[in-house]
Amino acid sequence: MDALVEHAAEKRERVTEKAALAVRGLTVSYAEKPAVFSVDATFLTGRMTAIVGPNGAGKSTLLKASLGIVPRVSGEVSAFGEPLGKAMAKIAYVPQRASVDWDFPTRVVDVVLMGLYRELGLLSLVRKEHRQFASECLERVGMVDFAERQIGQLSGGQQQRVFLARALAQKAELYLLDEPFAGVDAATERAIIHVLKDLRAEGRTVVCVHHDLATVADYFDDVLLVNIRKMAEGPIPETFTAENLQMTYGGRLAATHIDQLKLPTG
Amino acid sequence: MCGSSGSIINRRKLLLIGAGALGVAALPVSALSAEKLSVVATTSMIADAARQVGGDLVEVRGLMGPGVDPHSYRPTRTDILAMTKADVVLWHGLYLEAQMEEFMHNLGRRKPVIPVAESLPRDVLLGHDDYEDKFDPHVWMVPTLWEGVVRAVHEVLIERHPDGKAVFDSNLDVHLEELKALEAYARDALETIPQSRRVLVTAHDAFKYFGEAYGVEVLGIQGISTQSEAGLNRITELVDILVERQISAVFVESSVSDRNMRALIEGAAAKGHRVKIGGQLFSDAMGQADSYEGTYVGMIDHNVTTITRALGGSAPERGMNGRLAAGS
Amino acid sequence: MFDIFLQALLLRGGYNAALVAIGAGLLGAAAGSGGTFLFLRKRALVSDAVAHATLPGIGVAFMIMVAMGGDGRNLVGLLAGSAVTAALGLLCVQWMTRHTRLAEDAAIGAVLSVFFGVGVVLLTVIQTMTRGNQAGLEGFLLGSTAGMLFSDAVVIVVGGALIVLSIIWLRRPMTMVAFDAEFAAASGINVNRMDLAMMGLVTAVTIIGLKLVGLILIVAMLIIPPVTARFWTDRTDRVIWAGGLLGGMAGYFGAALSTVAPNLPTGPIIVLVSFGLFAVSLLLAPGRGVLASLWRRRQFQLRVHRRQGLLALARTERIFDPLTLSVLLREKLIRQDQVATPKGARMARAALEDERRWTRAREVYQDEAVISRYDGLTPIGEVLTPDEIAHLDQLTGTAAKERNSNGA
Repeated sequence: MDALVEHAAEKRERVTEKAALAVRGLTVSYAEKPAVFSVDATFLTGRMTAIVGPNGAGKSTLLKASLGIVPRVSGEVSAFGEPLGKAMAKIAYVPQRASVDWDFPTRVVDVVLMGLYRELGLLSLVRKEHRQFASECLERVGMVDFAERQIGQLSGGQQQRVFLARALAQKAELYLLDEPFAGVDAATERAIIHVLKDLRAEGRTVVCVHHDLATVADYFDDVLLVNIRKMAEGPIPETFTAENLQMTYGGRLAATHIDQLKLPTG
Repeated sequence: MCGSSGSIINRRKLLLIGAGALGVAALPVSALSAEKLSVVATTSMIADAARQVGGDLVEVRGLMGPGVDPHSYRPTRTDILAMTKADVVLWHGLYLEAQMEEFMHNLGRRKPVIPVAESLPRDVLLGHDDYEDKFDPHVWMVPTLWEGVVRAVHEVLIERHPDGKAVFDSNLDVHLEELKALEAYARDALETIPQSRRVLVTAHDAFKYFGEAYGVEVLGIQGISTQSEAGLNRITELVDILVERQISAVFVESSVSDRNMRALIEGAAAKGHRVKIGGQLFSDAMGQADSYEGTYVGMIDHNVTTITRALGGSAPERGMNGRLAAGS
Repeated sequence: MFDIFLQALLLRGGYNAALVAIGAGLLGAAAGSGGTFLFLRKRALVSDAVAHATLPGIGVAFMIMVAMGGDGRNLVGLLAGSAVTAALGLLCVQWMTRHTRLAEDAAIGAVLSVFFGVGVVLLTVIQTMTRGNQAGLEGFLLGSTAGMLFSDAVVIVVGGALIVLSIIWLRRPMTMVAFDAEFAAASGINVNRMDLAMMGLVTAVTIIGLKLVGLILIVAMLIIPPVTARFWTDRTDRVIWAGGLLGGMAGYFGAALSTVAPNLPTGPIIVLVSFGLFAVSLLLAPGRGVLASLWRRRQFQLRVHRRQGLLALARTERIFDPLTLSVLLREKLIRQDQVATPKGARMARAALEDERRWTRAREVYQDEAVISRYDGLTPIGEVLTPDEIAHLDQLTGTAAKERNSNGA
C-alpha cells in the first residue's frame, strides 16, 4: 500500500515539471493480445531516458504507438504541453535498423535529406544550403566521407549513424530512438552517445529503447521499466534498482547478472 | 355415370373411365411432340437451313446469335445442356468453331453430331492460309456452295426422322428455288460493278469464296480466322494499296470489331485519301433474329446489295425483293 | 527488312506505324516510371491482380451501356468500368492483407483469379447477347496495338502526362514510404494514402494501356523497366526516370520492329524488346551486371593471390597453391623453381614492409577511420600521409630496417 502511495506522489511530482512527452493510459494490442497495457509515462524535457524491459515487453510498440505509427486501442499522448498531432514537427524518430531494406537504391546523403522533408515539402528544390546542412549532420556522426555511398555498402554501425544524421537533420526538440546501440561496434556506440549527450547539452530531450542493462546507468538520467505494464519510472538512482529489475524481468534475470550491475538496493 | 350397385364398384369404374379419358386426351399431344425433332445448330446460318428444310417437324435452337463470332465462340453451360438433350446436333466443321472442336468430337461418340459443311467435296473448297491441312470454312457466302450444306442438313433430318421425308423433300425444293433466285440476283447485281472498283476490303478474310465466284478481289485485314492479330505490317500494306488503287469504300463486319478498319481509314486519310465505310456486312453471323436479315436469304441479299451499291454498281435499295431494312 | 525498321524508327513508315510507335512509346514511359514505386515497395505482383481485375468491369460496363440503349462500345465507358473493378480488386487485396491472416501473395492470387474468372464468365454471357456490338471485347486481354486510332493516342498522351506529373508531384513521399514507412509516418506522411497513390498510378497506367497491349501484358511494361534501370544506378530519382526511358524505348522500338514482317503482334514484341534490354543490362551493366561482377571477383582473386604469393616469397616459404604460382609466374615475379626474380624480390620486400606497417598502425592508431581501411590489400600509402608513415617506421625501430636490408 505504501509503495502505491509513494508511486502516486512521485507521479504528481513529475507532472508539474515540463514534459517533453506525456503518455496516459496507452494500450496497444496485436490481435486482441495486449502488447502494451495502460501505460502512463512522462519523459522530462532536457533529460535522457532509457526504456528498458525484457524481449517482447512492448518497448518498441510503446514508442511507435506514442507517435501514432501503429494504432492504439486507448490512451492519450501529448508533447510539450500540446496534443501530439500538433507537436509532431518537434519530434524526430529513429527506427530500428532492421526495418529497412538496405539494398534500396539510395545514397547516404539522400537518406539524410529525407530528414528535411518537413522543410522541403513536395516540390521545393534541394538547394546548396540544404546539402550543406546535410553534410554538417553527417559530420557530427563522422560519416561525411561516405556521403555518396550507396547505403548497402555500409556496415551496421555506419548505417545506424546515418539514421542518426537523418534525425539530426530534422532539428527536433525530442529524439526517440529504438535500440540505437543494438549490433553496432564500440566506436559507433561511442560516437552515438557523444551526439546524444550533445543534444542533451543543447536542452533537447532524448528517449531510447535500450537493450544493454550494463550501460543504462552510465548513459541515461532517467529510466522507464516496462513489461507490458509500466513497472517503474524515475531517475536512475532511485528507480534502477535490483528489486525493480526483478519485478520487470519477472525472474528472467539471473541473480548473478543483477549483482554484476552493482545497483543500489531500494 | 353412376352405377346403381355399391359405391366401391362405382368408384373403381369412375377411376378407370377417368384414366382412360386422360390417356385419350394425352395421346394427340404426345404424338405431336414425339414427332417434332429437336435440333441444335451452332451457327445461325445452319439453324436457318434446318428451319427451312424441317418446317413444323423440327424445333431448332441456334447457339450463336447475331454479332457472335464463331471463330472464338466458347459454349456456355446452357449450350452444352441443350446439345446433350437434343435429338441431333448440327455444326459447321471445317474448323470454323475452333473453340468447340474437341467437345463436338467427344459428343459425337454419344449422339448424332454432324459437321454439315464437311460433306462438301474437297475440290470446291479453298485452302486455309494459316493451316496446311485445313480449309477456308466460309462456304455460306456463295448460294451455290451453300446448297451442298443445305442438302446435307436435309439428309440428316430424313435419317433422324424418316416419317417426315415427304415434308422435308418439298421444303428442300422450295428453299433450293430461293437459293437459285438468290444466286441469280447476286450474279447480276455484282456484274454491274465497274471493273476498276471490284475490290472488297473487309475486317477478316471471310469472302474468298465470294470473290472467286463473282470475280471480285478480296482483301482482309485479319486472316481467315479472327483469332490472329492484325499486324502493323498488314495495316501499312493495306493503306498503301487503298491509296495506290484509289479504293474509296471499305466494309466493316457485324461479328468483328471495327477498330482495325477505322485505323485503316485514318491511315489513308493521313496520306490524303478519303475512304468511307461502304456498309456493315454479315460475314460470320446473320442479322437480328426476327428480321429478314436474320435469314440466310436476307443475309446474302443484304451483303450483295450493300457491296454492289457501295462500289458503284446498281442494285435496288431494298434488295432482291424489296424486303431489306431501309438505310442498311 | 532492315530499312523498313529504319523507316519505322524515323516515323516514316506510314501513319499507322508512326501512331503506334509514339503511343506505345508514351505508354511505355508512363508504365516504366510508375512501375518503379511498385518495384521499390516490393509489391510488383499487386499490379497483376489489378490488371486482371479490370476484366469484369469491362463486361459490366458493356452490359450497362447496352441496357441503356447504346451498342456498348463506348471506350470511355468501358475504361470507366474497368477502373472501378480494378480499384475494387486493389481494395480487396489491401483489406485481405490487413484484416485476415493471408499473406499478400495469397491475397493477390485470390483476387486475381476470382475477378478474372468473373470477367471471363461475363464475356461468355455477353457473347450470347443479341443486342449490342460485343465483337472486340476480348481484345482487352492481349490488346490490339496495330489497330490504334488517333483517339487512343489522345487518351494515352493525356493520361500519360497526368501520370508523369503525379509522379513528379509525389515522388518524395512515395520514395520515403517505400524506403522506411515508419520514419515516413513519423515525418507526417500518411502512409496509407501514399500506398494508394502508388497503386492508383499503376491502375491508371493499366487503364490507358488496356486497349493497346491488353491486361495480360501491361504487367510486363510496369515491372521490367525499373528492374532493368536498377542495374545502372543507385539513386532513386534516377531509377524512376531511367525506368521511364527504358519503358519508352521498349515501346517505341518494339512498335517499329513489328512493322518489319507480316503477322508480328506488336504488344508481345514490345515486351520482348523490354526483356532484351533487361538481359543486356543484366550481363553488361558496369556496376551490378553479371559480367562486371565476375570480372571484379576474378581481379580480386588475382590480387589476393599475388599478395599472398609475394608475402610467402618474402618469408621464403614454399608456395603450394597452383593459382598463386601461376599468377606469380605470369607476372614474372618468380621462376619455375620458385626462386624470385629481381622484380619479384623487390615487390615481395615491399609487400612485407607494407604488411608490417599495417600491423603497427593498427596498434598505434585507435582511429576507426584508419583501422577500417585495412583489408589485406590496400597499401598503407593510400591511408596515411608520408610523415605518418615515417613516424610509424621510427616507432618500429631500427630492428625492422635491418631486417629489410638483409632481405635483399
